[in-house]
Amino acid sequence: MSQSPTHAQRSDLFLLDAERTTWHDETLWFVREKRDRAVYATPEFQELRQLASDIKDHTLSQLSEYLAQFEAAALANGVRVHWAADAAEHNRIVLGIVRQAGATRVVKSKSMLTEECHLNPHLLAHGVEVIDSDLGERIIQLRDEAPSHVVLPAIHLKKEDVGETFWQHLGTEKGLTDPQQLTEAARQHLREKFLAAEVAISGVNFAVAETGAVVVCTNEGNADLAIGLARVHIACMGLEKLIPRLSDLAVFTRLLTRSATGQPITTYTSHFTRPAEGKEMHVVIVDNGRSQQLGRPDFRASLKCIRCGACMNTCPVYRRSGGHSYDFTIPGPIGAILSPNIDMKQHASLPFASTLCGSCTAVCPVKIDIHTQLYKWRQVLAAEGHIPASKQYSMQLLSRVLARPSLFKAGGAVARLGLRFVPHALTHAPGYNPWAIARELPTPPRQSFRDWYAQQGPTNAPA
Amino acid sequence: MSTPLPPSARENILAAVRAGQPTAVPLPAVPAFGGDDSVEKFAGLLASIGGEMVMLASLSELASAVARRYPADYHTASDLMPATVAVTAATGGETLAGIDLAVLRGTLGVAENGAVWLPEANMLHRALPVVAQHLVLVLDRRALVATMHQAYAQIRDVGGYGVFLAGPSKTADIEQSLVIGAHGVRSLTVMLH
Repeated sequence: MSQSPTHAQRSDLFLLDAERTTWHDETLWFVREKRDRAVYATPEFQELRQLASDIKDHTLSQLSEYLAQFEAAALANGVRVHWAADAAEHNRIVLGIVRQAGATRVVKSKSMLTEECHLNPHLLAHGVEVIDSDLGERIIQLRDEAPSHVVLPAIHLKKEDVGETFWQHLGTEKGLTDPQQLTEAARQHLREKFLAAEVAISGVNFAVAETGAVVVCTNEGNADLAIGLARVHIACMGLEKLIPRLSDLAVFTRLLTRSATGQPITTYTSHFTRPAEGKEMHVVIVDNGRSQQLGRPDFRASLKCIRCGACMNTCPVYRRSGGHSYDFTIPGPIGAILSPNIDMKQHASLPFASTLCGSCTAVCPVKIDIHTQLYKWRQVLAAEGHIPASKQYSMQLLSRVLARPSLFKAGGAVARLGLRFVPHALTHAPGYNPWAIARELPTPPRQSFRDWYAQQGPTNAPA
Repeated sequence: MSTPLPPSARENILAAVRAGQPTAVPLPAVPAFGGDDSVEKFAGLLASIGGEMVMLASLSELASAVARRYPADYHTASDLMPATVAVTAATGGETLAGIDLAVLRGTLGVAENGAVWLPEANMLHRALPVVAQHLVLVLDRRALVATMHQAYAQIRDVGGYGVFLAGPSKTADIEQSLVIGAHGVRSLTVMLH
């Protein structure tokens, strides 16, 4: 078993504040309900999900060809294309571009990839100021925290927390909690950063193979503002972001925000094909474990993810454990199937952080079989020896009992009798029975179903 | 054009992808989903995402409609009506940051989501539609389409840079409270003629 704390242990920290946990749960469920309203108002939504899934399946099946096509088109557009096998190479390339531009001030818009690669610490360590410009990301950057959701990075915080942070770092009035005023303070603070930045780094939502364009979706306008003002634009993308055709964007833009927040589209859906006159545009294509995941037949569908966060908003475990309990860049159900590919031992507890209810699969806009993959990862983790001994041996014992009807019958009789006499403190001891930490065991029935059935006379079949 | 790389990083990645990719499956054809492309539908969606709509009897009313709506001392940039700040692709950030209002021509409106397509050729400077405090997008009422499928079919070529703008800049990053005017424009008005 891994040495690092498990998902359940990290969840305990989040659950210490019951009021906040309830707020978190209800707020994300509210977002899920907004998603439902947007989905039901789109008659062809289920058709679009199937199309998106099929387009992504097709793209993954010819990904090397599409990557080459994208690169050729981007080069023809005057875009410089870079390839990074892993996070370290990605960070080295980005720092190289920043240095070549003679720049020390960088503004970054939302990019889960650069979080995954830990780009910020790398740039800061080399004397480059990097400012996250998405409001939620700026808040957590000031607090030195990781995002807890792919779309709502600061959803674990309350407005009082943000007020405190802005009072400390931006000089706002102490005790300010009005979201409107806090946002205005961030707007003023970040305007200066936008105007001063020499390099703008962005993520990529979609990369169009046939045109070489990258598409970035934001609500705040931070990506467009930064890129429009800076001399150099660096777009960082995982190699799974490709889609074949410009027209495919219609399918994905219709699905993305309806699934994410229930909006019909993001405020800004921006297409970057060529650098502006006299400026530079770079695209960094990153593997970092993705080609390996592509080679795992049971798990490759996880690469279809468009990072809408719908699986998080709907997940009964995520909503009550918070994004930080996953200790991975991408939390929630999708993170739980992406993370074991990166480090099986460290993230061994994540595929177990699920009831396998399947709600994630039901809302996924690209039809990833998330809960099936969670189940399959559990098999892989058990086979590789990454599950706790208590679970491993109890499951082995149980499978032996369940395979022998007479043993099962005897065991049932012992349990029914035993539970009546064993003290409550023992049957509900957290050390032995974590299931009963917040629950009561049901009262054991006087007889088993098998005994009851044997006592029944022959039934009269209807004539 | 590629900058110096560790040799064969590209080849290694492409080879790993090729080794991992499954048997080819076909690319589906996407039906041309249509729907309601009425002014009412577009206006309803635009209002729901925080945008506003003004109907112009004709394009000649533009300047007076803008004058009625915004203070006379606003710094305005536009290629459609008399402006107070001249903006080109070479205009610097400090000048752009002082612009209160940009009045630009959108080429297409999407009724299903209230978005307006703004190509680079119509924005004077790439940062203008987002750095200005307020934005007016002028749109021909015949340029409404029902869905994003129809929009991309008409656009065909997005150019060097182009953007769908759907209402004013917004955020809900603080406790999911919607705030209009995050980093981009504080208001977006579509003037339909």
